This record gives sequence, structure tokens and C-alpha cells, in this order.
Amino acid sequence: MASSTTASNLTPPSLSLPPSQFARLQPHAYLLAHLSPPPASNQPSIRANGRAASQFRVTSANAGSLTHTNGSAVVRIGDTAAVCGVRAEILHTKDIASWSVLQASSEHNLDNSNYAGVSESQDEEDRGHIQDLNLLVPNLSLSTGCAPGFTPGAPPSALAQSLSHQLLSLLHTTRLVRAEDLRIWYQPPNLESEEFGNAGEGMDVDTEESGGPEREIKAFWVLYIDVMIISLAGNPFDAAWASVLAALRDTKLPRAWWDADNETVLCSDDVADARKLSLRGLPVASSFCSFEGDAAAGWRAVVIPSAEEQKQKKSAQRRWILADPDGYEEGLSQERASVVVDKENGKTVIVKMEKHGGWTVDSDDLRQLVDVSAQRWDEMKRILDQC
Amino acid sequence: MVGPIASLSQLHRSDGSASYKCPATGYSILGAVNGPIELPARRDALKPEEATVEVFVKPGTTTGGVGERYIEGILRSVLGKIVLGREKGFPRRGVVITLAIVGGENVARGDNYLTILPALLHTGLLAMISASVPLSMTFSATLLGVTEDGDIVRDPSPTAAKAAVSLHVFAFSSKNHLLLNESEGRFGFDTWEYVRERALSICQGETTASADGDVAMGEGTASASVSGFIRETVEDQIYSDYAYKLDSI
Repeated sequence: MASSTTASNLTPPSLSLPPSQFARLQPHAYLLAHLSPPPASNQPSIRANGRAASQFRVTSANAGSLTHTNGSAVVRIGDTAAVCGVRAEILHTKDIASWSVLQASSEHNLDNSNYAGVSESQDEEDRGHIQDLNLLVPNLSLSTGCAPGFTPGAPPSALAQSLSHQLLSLLHTTRLVRAEDLRIWYQPPNLESEEFGNAGEGMDVDTEESGGPEREIKAFWVLYIDVMIISLAGNPFDAAWASVLAALRDTKLPRAWWDADNETVLCSDDVADARKLSLRGLPVASSFCSFEGDAAAGWRAVVIPSAEEQKQKKSAQRRWILADPDGYEEGLSQERASVVVDKENGKTVIVKMEKHGGWTVDSDDLRQLVDVSAQRWDEMKRILDQC
Repeated sequence: MVGPIASLSQLHRSDGSASYKCPATGYSILGAVNGPIELPARRDALKPEEATVEVFVKPGTTTGGVGERYIEGILRSVLGKIVLGREKGFPRRGVVITLAIVGGENVARGDNYLTILPALLHTGLLAMISASVPLSMTFSATLLGVTEDGDIVRDPSPTAAKAAVSLHVFAFSSKNHLLLNESEGRFGFDTWEYVRERALSICQGETTASADGDVAMGEGTASASVSGFIRETVEDQIYSDYAYKLDSI
């Protein structure tokens, strides 16, 4: 037995490790070696996954994948894949406890709208209806076995909950969905009119007869937006938001009207009657992380340079801002930045910008990130228009 | 403008505590910090070499929901970054920060929490100072709203925040680093940079030179700045803690 072990040990063990093992044992040094190759080697600075610092992963989108939803989409960014389904349900105004109060206050607003800009009061009313009545209900699930850290069937993790909140908050602040698309109207027939025969057509959703009784909202559509991350390899928010966007662009609501005789809302089963949502703009999210070259910064009691000193020593300072980080890079960096941009007539508008978890990214870097996000917007628009 | 009111070490059972009231936004926060303590769950798998920072936010009238999870994540990343978690006695232990919103308007579902974020950050910082948690730096935060006319409003009330076109929260470290930025609404980058300059002068209270060489006056003297307020609050506490020594001199 002893002789056999010495026999197998005769070949000297190899002293070099394969790259995959080195990546596991020394993740920080592995990524750092890729980003800062020795100057003699003439190699460009690329990430361990072969991308340049501001390069996003290959993105693909497919809309209308699920048949039982009103709108759905699958978005894949590299190895992160998100499935989103939008399901619409009817909320009767008689089931809303505070409806009479809300209606009274909105009528008050309408009176004011004669003086102020009409579009503005429209926005206010949108915000009131969509936010106060919770007409948009996004939920994100990570408990799908998407990554080793998330056990299937477990309660929603803190990450999943905060992502759900981010989706909802972004839906509200961008006012992506118009409240008008979600309202189901009823036009009472004008019984006092001489042309009594026209009364039946008065039930039509869009006709507005002058002089007749005022039309009223009888119900709302509530959109349940469910996102499942079926594979998680970093940057779940970009994938989830892109899937929500693609699914809402795909969403069709059937024509619905209030039937006064049955006292209920009826829907048309004719596909030709169904209409798409008209969304406001196309906000696209891009996330970044900052990778610091000095791994020992946290170990040693170093004096942190002030912001001015840091700016002067920028060339010597070693940190990289990586766009669309994958799971490996996310594990190695603490500082995150996220920019959501939209474009109106070619002009870039920032809808949301956040950064936290560190002190190396400041306004100069954020300006670059906004430019990178604007480029990403063009790319995402092309992808979403094709799907 | 009425400045915030804060006091340290009000709770006796926790290692450190702070209460903070911001009259402009109406929020009042009570924070408690315990640390270093043994965490019930074994956290060795995460990062055994440094302390785990945990943040819990308790809204005033309801149980915590998804919005609280989100804000806890942001607070953890900011406060966790400035804690020196590798000091003696801290590795493999935890620093638990609990922040209770005891006064002010409720934060509605899906609301962005930006109006309350500076108050939460300040309470967390003061409570950690009160608990003598070693910190690499302190910070100061502020909330600014941009109205439709392009005016910048400092510490807008919840109603004014709803009417604002964009809302910005900035936190600057004691060495002028940008520690945190949360901006929402519709704005261009030039607006953002302008708001950032304004926020820096509010937080640090220094005269800041703008790009064209003009020197804009900050918000009064250093004591009127937010970082000056944090410093004065801690100084007052130390003064009363060491009163017995001063008397004996």
C-alpha cells in the first residue's frame, strides 16, 4: 500500500492552478489581475468575464410568452433571466371603502383644473388613483432556485422584498401607466332627451353626450405584475425592470363596460376590441458597481483621504466602475450605483439615480454613468421594439 | 429655519441610543444600538473577519413591509461602510441598529422613503456614537426638493415633497465624500450637480467655489451646518457626561 502511494507521488504535483480554481481561492486578486494586466504584456484591461468596464451583457427579450396572462415577457441579460406576467383584475368602485371621499376630492381638483394646466391636474389625478387605490401590484420572487443561496419555497428574502419595493416605487415615480387606461366608465342614458332611441348607445364607453348626465367611473383595472427571477447571475433589478417594461408594453386589456341591467362589469371576448396600454416614455435601468483595487483597505487602519485629495490622486487610485455586474463581481464590491434614464425628443432625462455603499463614486463618475446609461437606453429600445 | 433637535443616550437598557426630531419634515425617530453582541444565527459563512451590521426600521403605526426592507438595505450599506468592523472584539459579532419612527406622517405603500431618510441616517449615526461603536468617519445628510419653478427647497414637508418635480437625498462624509445619493423625479444632470453643490454647503457649511471661480456663501457659519449640529449634539452629551470632572477642578 505504501509503495503504491509513493509510486503515484513520483510525478511531481503541478504548482500552477487552473484559472477556475484561482478564481475561487483568490477572487479579488483574480479580478484585479484581469483589470490591471502588467504593462509589459500589452493586454487590454478587461474583466474576468471578458467584457470591457462599461459593457453590458448580451440582452434578449421575448414578449407574449405566457398565454394565460394579459401581457408577459421574458428578458434575459446574460445568465440572469426574469419572467414577468401581468394579470388584470376588476376592482368595483363599490368595493372601495373611501371611494366617495376620493371622488369628492377629485371633483374639487377638476374645478381647479380650469385655472391651472390641464395636463398637470391630469397627472395629479393619475397619481391619486394609481397610488391611493394601489392599482399596480408588482411582486418579485427569488424563491425559484435561481441561485444556490436562495432555497426554493422559502419566504421572500430581504433582497426580494426590496426589489419588489423598488419596482413599485419606480412605477409610481415614472408614472408609466396612465390611470385613464385603467378606468371603466359608465355613461348613464340621457332619459330626458327627445331622441330616446339614442339612449342605448349612451352606454358606450367613449361617447360623451353634451347635456346628458355625467359619466362616472364604475370600476378600475388592477394590474398584478409578477416577476419570477428564474436564473440569477447578478444585477436582478435591471432584468426585472426590463421584463416589467416589456410585459406592460405587451399588455392588452379587454374592452369592459358597466352593464346597468345586471349591475356588473362585462368584458368583450373579442380580441379586436382589446386595447394596449399607452405607457408614458420608456425608462431604462442600468446598474453599476465599483470594484476597489486595494483589497487590504478594509484590513489596515488607513487614513481615508479627503474628497479633494482623492480627486487629485485619481490617476494613482485604483478602482473600476463595472457596468451590469455579474454575481461574481457583485460579491467583490460594496459600492453600487443605479441610473434610470428616459429620452424625450433625443434629450436624456434622469428619472432615478442612486448610489450608496462607498465613497469613491462622485459627480464626475456619475456624469459618465449617465452617458453610458443613455447609450444603454438606445440599445434597450431597439431590443424591446423588436420583441 | 428651525433646526433639528437631538439628544443622546436616552434609553438605559441599550448600549447606545439617540432621539432625533426634524421640525421641518415633522419626523421624530428613536434609535437604539447594541453592539458588539453575539448574533443568534451563525454568520461565519458571510464575512467572519468583520462585524455584521443589521438595521431594523419600525414604522410608527404598522408592521414593517417591503418598503422598510428596502430602506434597511440602504441604511445598512451606508452605516456598515463607516463602522470599523475589524476592531478588537468586533469580528464575528454584530452591531444591531433599531430605528423606530415615533412621530410624523405615515409613509404610504410604494412611497419612496426619501423624506425620512436623512432623519434615519442621523439617528443611526448618533446612536452609534452613543454606543461607542468605532467609526472611520461621520457624515451628515440632507433632503432637497426641486420645485416646478426650479427653486431648491431644503427639507420639504411631505406635502411639498409630493408636489416637487424631483427629490434628492445626499449624505456627505466628514471628509466631503459623497456617501449616498438617492434622487427621484425628472431632472437633468446639470440640475443634479447644482443641487449637489447646495447640499454640500448645507451639510458642511463651507464656502464652496463654483466652476466659474465665484465663491458662493454657504448656509451661514459652520455651527449652522448639519455636520456642525451633529458635532454640537455629541459635545453637549460629553459635557454633561463629564460634568463631575469639571466640578472637581
